[in-house]
Amino acid sequence: MVDAKKIGVAGAAIVLVTLVAVFATSYMADFETARTPNTEDETKPLHLKDAPVLGSKDATITIVEVGDYQCHMCKLWFEETRPLIIENYVETGKANLVFIDMPFLGRDSTPASEATYCADDQGKYWEYHSMLFTYQEDEIDGGWANANRLQAFALNLGLDMEQFDKCMITDDHRAHVNFNMQMAKKEFGANSTPTFVIVGPTGEAQKIVGAHPYSTFVSVLDQML
Amino acid sequence: MNNTFGIIYSNPSYILILIGIFFLLFIPLIIISEFLFFEPFLVFSIYPETTLSFSLIVTLSLFSAFAVSMNIYRVKLIKETKKIGSSIIGTIIGASAGACSCGPIAFSIITTFGTAGSIASSFLTVYEVPIRLTSIGILVIVIFVTTKSLSRECKVKS
Repeated sequence: MVDAKKIGVAGAAIVLVTLVAVFATSYMADFETARTPNTEDETKPLHLKDAPVLGSKDATITIVEVGDYQCHMCKLWFEETRPLIIENYVETGKANLVFIDMPFLGRDSTPASEATYCADDQGKYWEYHSMLFTYQEDEIDGGWANANRLQAFALNLGLDMEQFDKCMITDDHRAHVNFNMQMAKKEFGANSTPTFVIVGPTGEAQKIVGAHPYSTFVSVLDQML
Repeated sequence: MNNTFGIIYSNPSYILILIGIFFLLFIPLIIISEFLFFEPFLVFSIYPETTLSFSLIVTLSLFSAFAVSMNIYRVKLIKETKKIGSSIIGTIIGASAGACSCGPIAFSIITTFGTAGSIASSFLTVYEVPIRLTSIGILVIVIFVTTKSLSRECKVKS
């Protein structure tokens, strides 16, 4: 009887350790991807020509953010780190910022991404982008990014609603979002959000996985400048 | 109660087990919850918004370490245990909570299980704090029951 209980305890302990190991392995696999960048991928031209750029197009460094508008860590980065990067690197012309959509967290993620490009048609991509992260709520698919709210965001930005609605109904930018999703996974090797790829003046790329603090970006960017 | 803690942790082996279990949980959890990064270099950071989450991880890891080490002592002492199962369940639930936000684990779950994975991942993210608090509650009960039980058994023994 005692032995059976001991075995039970040992079994439970093994399950616990295995779970921790699986979690750790899953996360470390991501580091492995970052540590051994595919040189073939690095030399490929980045298909960013069509992406809206925040900052000077002539900046020597491009910061590519792979994100999902329903990702909480993306919002955290948007609120805590991004303003400092914009102030010290984007506004000074040292770097520019590009956002690549990887809408995987919920059904409202893809329409939210599409809405940003519908806003881009009217020259308000970054305003809409900021609005989505500003008004992001905790619950994924909880209604904060449903069709009505996406319309409300557009209205608040003063967009032409007829044009915006038509763009959303006809899924004008669905292919663009799907293309970005594929590019995020294949070209940038992203399997979580936010993932950043910082492309330097000579084409060298540094991948940063997760909502890193500003200090990480300072170190990487200053090294490239 | 103090006496029970004193008896258990007067043995350095149990202090080592306590520390070992604490770090076994704490390190993976702060990595998964994006407090600790190894790439591109070692970085530890806590945003003001995530202070509560970090505090809960510390508490959860500490209570799990106490619960497990005390139950190991109890198993050795009386060769039977009834409560360790629930403490491990509490630890697993608590450890899972909030680990599925936008990270690679969520990505794997969602891509494997589709909508169901997305809902599960979302559930763990939204209810991260309540789930962790519940786990801590379970662990407090486990520690309390184990301590009472040890006090009684130790008296019987002596």
